[in-house]
Amino acid sequence: MRLFLILLGAVVLAFVATPLLIVVPMSFSTAVSLEFPPPGWWTGYYTAYFSDTRWTRPTLNSLGIAAAVAVLTVVLVTPAAFALVRHRFAGKSLVNLLLMLPLAVPHIVMAIGYYAFLADMRLLQTFPGIILAHTALSVPMAFLVLSANLKGFDRSLERAAMSLGASPAATFRHVTLPVLWPGFAAAALFAFVQSFDETVVALFISGRDTETLPRRMFDSIRTTADPVIAVVSTLLFLAVAALVILPVLWRALARRRSEARP
Amino acid sequence: MSAASAATGGSSLRSWLLLAPLLVFLAAFFIVPLAQVAVMSVTEPEFGFGHYAEIVTDGFHLRVLGETFVTALVVSLCCLVLGFPLAYAMAAAPAGLAAAMMVVVTMSFWTSFLVRTYAWMVLLGNRGPVAQFVEWLGFATPELLFTRFSSTVAMTHILLPYMVLSLYGVLKRIEPSLPRSAASLGARPASVIRHVVLPLAAPGIANGLTLVFVLCLGFYVTPILLGSPREQMVAGVIGQQVEEFLAFGEASAMAMVLLASTLVVLGLYHRRFGLDRLWG
Repeated sequence: MRLFLILLGAVVLAFVATPLLIVVPMSFSTAVSLEFPPPGWWTGYYTAYFSDTRWTRPTLNSLGIAAAVAVLTVVLVTPAAFALVRHRFAGKSLVNLLLMLPLAVPHIVMAIGYYAFLADMRLLQTFPGIILAHTALSVPMAFLVLSANLKGFDRSLERAAMSLGASPAATFRHVTLPVLWPGFAAAALFAFVQSFDETVVALFISGRDTETLPRRMFDSIRTTADPVIAVVSTLLFLAVAALVILPVLWRALARRRSEARP
Repeated sequence: MSAASAATGGSSLRSWLLLAPLLVFLAAFFIVPLAQVAVMSVTEPEFGFGHYAEIVTDGFHLRVLGETFVTALVVSLCCLVLGFPLAYAMAAAPAGLAAAMMVVVTMSFWTSFLVRTYAWMVLLGNRGPVAQFVEWLGFATPELLFTRFSSTVAMTHILLPYMVLSLYGVLKRIEPSLPRSAASLGARPASVIRHVVLPLAAPGIANGLTLVFVLCLGFYVTPILLGSPREQMVAGVIGQQVEEFLAFGEASAMAMVLLASTLVVLGLYHRRFGLDRLWG
């Protein structure tokens, strides 16, 4: 039974991995439509992706939007996380629930809400409109990541700095911030990825000039299944692979180095 | 007493000042747009509860809702059936192997929905590996794409990491001596899993099922790109009403029904386990 479960687990792992891996050979295929295995190999669609503004522009749009969302989210979430982790006050659990709400509401509901709202504000199909919407949707994950980091923070470090005469501002800058920066980086990364991948709301509120990469991919898959989509998929897959594997390797290396030391 | 209350009073004021930017932001750019959906559902094009009456009576909307619930249920159960062995294998594997398996699951988790949807279009396409294998076996080319089957498989694949991560969290914490002592007391392996492992994993199972079910209820992208045009899910119908007919009232009423269903499921989870554990 135990062995059977583990074997079944290995099969499921293959089910998880196969679709992720198949986009790589597809991106080097000469086929004009979906065909696997590829009839021939070339890198022509990579050239097509990097030279076609219909792809490069949405890519740059998405990178810019996601960077702005990451900064804005961290700026808004940081003081709130400090308040909720370090202080007790009436209404705290209600605030907690409110901060989680964007995670609970289906994106299609927010898509029509933002469509009507941003139209009223004259922000429909503009960068500020998309950035505001994506920031609201990024709040819960960034908050969860940051407050988890904050809970693990040893406050006696701050007290030590203060008792040695550091002002609260100096303590924050020279003690709190350096210790917590991985938490800030992780929260910013979550916000960045959430915005960069967000499809449904962007489909409704981004326009011709503010088109995001997921919107371009969605339209491309829906209408033509343009082979360039395999190139974009491969690049996104490699970015995720780097993001996930590098920290694991880094930790493994650090462990080996510390074990090697006498 | 007065000093203590003054201290908490000061701390409370400071908390609200720290919270203010985020709360104002969310009120302006999340609550207002959300409220606008609620308002539009009873004011577009004219005031009244006509859209809700239509949803309940016209047959089409109820059928879409029913199909969406069934799909979400099927996907949740598929995720559980596939996710449990994988999480179990991960928990049983030696540290290095478990880390490698975790990398695969995490990579799937972080890879864009669109990339994974596209990958399933390749895998299940007429000239894809699955179709060719079926042909090689001597059968006619199967029509896999743009069916309920293709969208269910892809949604299961896309949501599976949520289930695996939920289950792995609880399975990893089970004291290894518990299943071992059950076995040494004569329990067969199947009954060890049924009577020891499964009950201890119950909170993770509830967690995974709730997450997958709720995310699947509101799924938009994959059913549209991979599913049958005749068997839409709620989110697809909502999007279509806005995109094609600019019928904001109808779309908003459907959106409110979808939101209410989601909140009911989350509410049930909250009463039993506490919502803060769901995404933790």
